[in-house]
Amino acid sequence: MNLKKLLLRRIIEIFVVFYIIMTILFLLFHLAPGDPVSMMVDLTLTPEDVALLVAQLGLDQPLWLQYLYYIKNFFTGNFGTSFHYGRPVIEIIGQRLPPTLLLFTTATVLAAVAGIWWGKLIAWYKGKPVDTGVTIFALVCNTLFLPWIALLFIWFFAFRIGWFPLSGMMTPEIWVNPAAGFLAKAGDVLHHMLLPLMTLFVVNTGAYLLIMRSSMLETLREDYILTARAKGLTERQVRNRHAAPNASLPVVTSVGLSLAFSVNGGALTETVFSWPGIGRELIFAVSNADYPLAMASFLFIALVVLVANLIVDILYAYLDPRISYE
Amino acid sequence: MNSRFYLEFLKVAAVPLFMAAVLFFASCAEHADDGILRLGLMEEPRTTNIWLASDANSRKLISLVYQPLYTYDPDSLELTPWLAASMPEYDPDTQSYTVRLRDAKWSDGTRLTADDVVFTVELIQRFRVPRYYSQWRFVERTEAVDERTVRFFLEEPKAIFLTRTLVNYVVPKSQWEPIAEAAGQRQKPLAALLNTEIEAPLGSGPFVLAEWRKGAYIHLKKNDHFFGSGVEVSGRRLGPHADEVLFKVYGTADVAVLGLKKDEIDFLWMSIQPGYIDGLEANPHTTVYLSDRSALYYMGFNVRREPFSDPAFRRAVNVLIDKDFIIDRVLQGYAAHMDSIVPTENVFWHADGLPEYARGLSREDRIRKAWRVLSEEGYTWQRPPVDENGEVAAPSRIILPDGTPMADFSILTPPADYDPARATCGVIIQEWLKDLGIPASSRPMAFGALLQRVKDRHEFDAFILGYGQLSLDPDYLRSFFHSENDRPGGWNMSGYNNEAFDRLADESVMAMDTQRRRDLILEMQRIVMEDVPYIPLYNPSAVEAVGKKRFEGWEEMIDGIGNIWSLTRVAPLEE
Repeated sequence: MNLKKLLLRRIIEIFVVFYIIMTILFLLFHLAPGDPVSMMVDLTLTPEDVALLVAQLGLDQPLWLQYLYYIKNFFTGNFGTSFHYGRPVIEIIGQRLPPTLLLFTTATVLAAVAGIWWGKLIAWYKGKPVDTGVTIFALVCNTLFLPWIALLFIWFFAFRIGWFPLSGMMTPEIWVNPAAGFLAKAGDVLHHMLLPLMTLFVVNTGAYLLIMRSSMLETLREDYILTARAKGLTERQVRNRHAAPNASLPVVTSVGLSLAFSVNGGALTETVFSWPGIGRELIFAVSNADYPLAMASFLFIALVVLVANLIVDILYAYLDPRISYE
Repeated sequence: MNSRFYLEFLKVAAVPLFMAAVLFFASCAEHADDGILRLGLMEEPRTTNIWLASDANSRKLISLVYQPLYTYDPDSLELTPWLAASMPEYDPDTQSYTVRLRDAKWSDGTRLTADDVVFTVELIQRFRVPRYYSQWRFVERTEAVDERTVRFFLEEPKAIFLTRTLVNYVVPKSQWEPIAEAAGQRQKPLAALLNTEIEAPLGSGPFVLAEWRKGAYIHLKKNDHFFGSGVEVSGRRLGPHADEVLFKVYGTADVAVLGLKKDEIDFLWMSIQPGYIDGLEANPHTTVYLSDRSALYYMGFNVRREPFSDPAFRRAVNVLIDKDFIIDRVLQGYAAHMDSIVPTENVFWHADGLPEYARGLSREDRIRKAWRVLSEEGYTWQRPPVDENGEVAAPSRIILPDGTPMADFSILTPPADYDPARATCGVIIQEWLKDLGIPASSRPMAFGALLQRVKDRHEFDAFILGYGQLSLDPDYLRSFFHSENDRPGGWNMSGYNNEAFDRLADESVMAMDTQRRRDLILEMQRIVMEDVPYIPLYNPSAVEAVGKKRFEGWEEMIDGIGNIWSLTRVAPLEE
């Protein structure tokens, strides 16, 4: 099978999986008890008001008809209007996605680079105290409960010693000040980003480091490493040019998927840091039964993850010439 | 392994460290914040569209932008003219109220006129705007007598017109007329109206929206045309004295409280958990305000079902419930005792001298009293909860007067992650009922599912729910207990049906004389507390905190200091 055929097959697969996800999502949301209107405990809302609102939201239609509209609307690019905000879903996702991407892709890339780098080094010194120490530290970091460490960081770095802002993405007092220029505003956003970034870095690096370490240990046992040494290459060359690139393959897969999942954001990270991203929005949308917003967000995430899977598969072949699509 | 290893090991760590150092210095930019009142919220408001704004946070924002004709005096809780210049005049012959407006302006400097008021009412009636329509539906027509005089003709006398209807906001015709016209042409007019985004709402309040950076902050500026600037209303001189207002959103209460302590905000506009009080009181820069609320947390029965249909059974359950224990242990003392559906703090409407049932009795005495109540009505036990010596003992399952043992039943509560207090109450009450052989089990349930079963399908035995903000006008008594509201989706969720109550409730709606209406409302409370379809459990206090470094002059009122009086009166501290 050549690459073209493989691509075509995978795209069809993606389409089928996506359609199944769409259907499951629809059923999950519409069969769950409570709709956005009946959940309002508001004494000024009479049963007639509820009926009117339900009709205006289109929720009085039979389920199969709602399903057909949903499929039709989705494929005609109409993602609907959020029940909660009364604004087009696409606009809300468009607003919430950039902060999420900014924070989570940066965090993933930084954690991956550091994980690969450190994993490579400690594997090289296997059995030495530094290997034991760093491995234990990485394991501890990897199992840290994110909201806890996030709150601890906020309390210490932002509240006690005041190096960073407590939360959010910008300091309103700077942004509403007409005298503040672009640099001040950009610096402000980056300043707000540092603490969540630090938290994500601490929690995520461990995993990459451990994957890289074990992959590196496998690679170091390969014959070509022995050959490289026999050729008289320096230890540094053997490690950096021959072992590390091959060992980093599993990390690449993991990073690829993490990058895809970064569109999902991290509901917990975003909540604790009041980061105005899509993860927090998803939680609100689900808890407020805001079907259009929740479903569109989930579908978007599903699509990105499916496509990222495909890209990682293709990338793999380029990184490792031993893999072929035959 | 040598020092080169460590150097190499640290190469990567150098990147974030370098970034941190650079940005730390880069972002030390000073910012001026004099005269900016900074308010903390736990969730971003959903909209500036007044007709869509049903969430508490949008309503906070809306309350600074739009204004009502009347409001409540913070001390007496009596109706006070706000946009209106005087109290409304009633003409019994035409069943009409005449309201004279102040010389008020919209934030663009144009005059707020009787036409705006008429337009607001007609818009609500035309689109049947949920939440508003039920308060305006009985107004037959509204007439602009002159530029500053409005006359409301009622279809029939309606007491809530004064206390509920006239406290609604007025919107400007100039901004909403084109929107209403466009929405009216659409297939779903109401949805079109609700989904209209209002980027720059034209209001008559103390502040005007300057910028809303979604997800980050909301910036308001002082409205130079606010009618109240320098004016005395209810003996209070209004401002606003803050030049600007900033709403900041925090993801968790922990961080919001840190924000308050760190002087990032001047007021955290939400009721916080009592657990934060000690820390805030110990902080020299923050003040905690404890206020009464107009709230009701209660246990309800499905009186359509046996044995909950028996008032004696419900009374016995009421006897078994130690409300003071719940307040002390579950709510750490930050709640008020309730002996009626109308909170005690609603001084004008609350009925005194209602049956206390078992307040102050020990656990054993409660069991004895409940046992007596039920025994007299024919309930029996194979092994009664009180033995022949009058000692309390572990009972067998209670047997109903018809001779059948009572079946297991559930007390539905919201889950602990939604409201730990109500979930805990369910468990405690379950144990208290077991002391009398009543086979109850507490069942936490997702909030949506709970409401659907209780309100829409009536498939339940008992439940614990609450209303965080009841109106000051007690018209909700009618909503809760009038038989006409016993229908799927109706607010009489218990299915309570009492003709005497219905008669009084119907009369109270029409009673235009406040004293007469008060007598009726008091009597209605007496009937309900005799029959106890609902057992009021507690009324939690509003716990709020402010920073005291920058602003002063917060106005305490029922439901807390986050009210229009505070926000128009707080002023920067003198240096």
